[in-house]
Amino acid sequence: MADSNQPTSSNEVYDEPPPFMQQLLDNPWILLFLGVVIPTVLYVIWGIMEIVSVPIAP
Amino acid sequence: MSAIQPPSNRLWWKEPIERVEITWVLIAFVWCMFLFFMMPYWHVFGKQNLANEAYRNTPEKYTAKVQEMISKYKVREETGLNDVKIPVVKPPAGSDVYLIARLWQWEPILELEEGQTYRLHLMSLDWLHGFSLQPENINIEVHPNYEHILTVQPSKPGTYSIICNEYCGLNHHTMVSKLFVTAKK
Repeated sequence: MADSNQPTSSNEVYDEPPPFMQQLLDNPWILLFLGVVIPTVLYVIWGIMEIVSVPIAP
Repeated sequence: MSAIQPPSNRLWWKEPIERVEITWVLIAFVWCMFLFFMMPYWHVFGKQNLANEAYRNTPEKYTAKVQEMISKYKVREETGLNDVKIPVVKPPAGSDVYLIARLWQWEPILELEEGQTYRLHLMSLDWLHGFSLQPENINIEVHPNYEHILTVQPSKPGTYSIICNEYCGLNHHTMVSKLFVTAKK
């Protein structure tokens, strides 16, 4: 099992890409983007929406 | 153990996971799920006293409602710090009761009845204060221009303390008041 993944020669290129989640975690720019956007949307934008929607006292 | 050694394959994701590693992952995952589901569970079943009804208001309109309550239901006066006279009101059961928070006092003093439900309104006239009912440990932030309402039902007669637990300036530590709960008639 382990040997079937080894190249037959050192010049052979692996054409199998890593799993999608691994590609995501390998890209620091995507991680930076998600790390900023997700908390901003879930905390700041959602919070402002909630505050703005507080009704006026009857 | 290859859980802590580098993988021997280049396509490392094709290696089966080590038992130690998957056990570790599973334990951590189960604990995370427990913590996650405790949040909604405790929100529903944890008897939290939430001020989840709120309105935007102005100090003038809110003060007018408080004055109306004081003029209708005032029973006596108590003397606070610096000989300030604070009215004590005894509103009817099930009604809306109001508390003003401002630098540096609570107004008025409420006298409630055991077992009855009241809608307690809280608002500040200047800036942020904290309403902390001791020793019950009910704690709500009191904001300027936002009227928060929480439903309270006193369960034991006695004298309770209200302290301000959000630092609000020089005399924050003197911003204390009382709340009376009379026994059921």
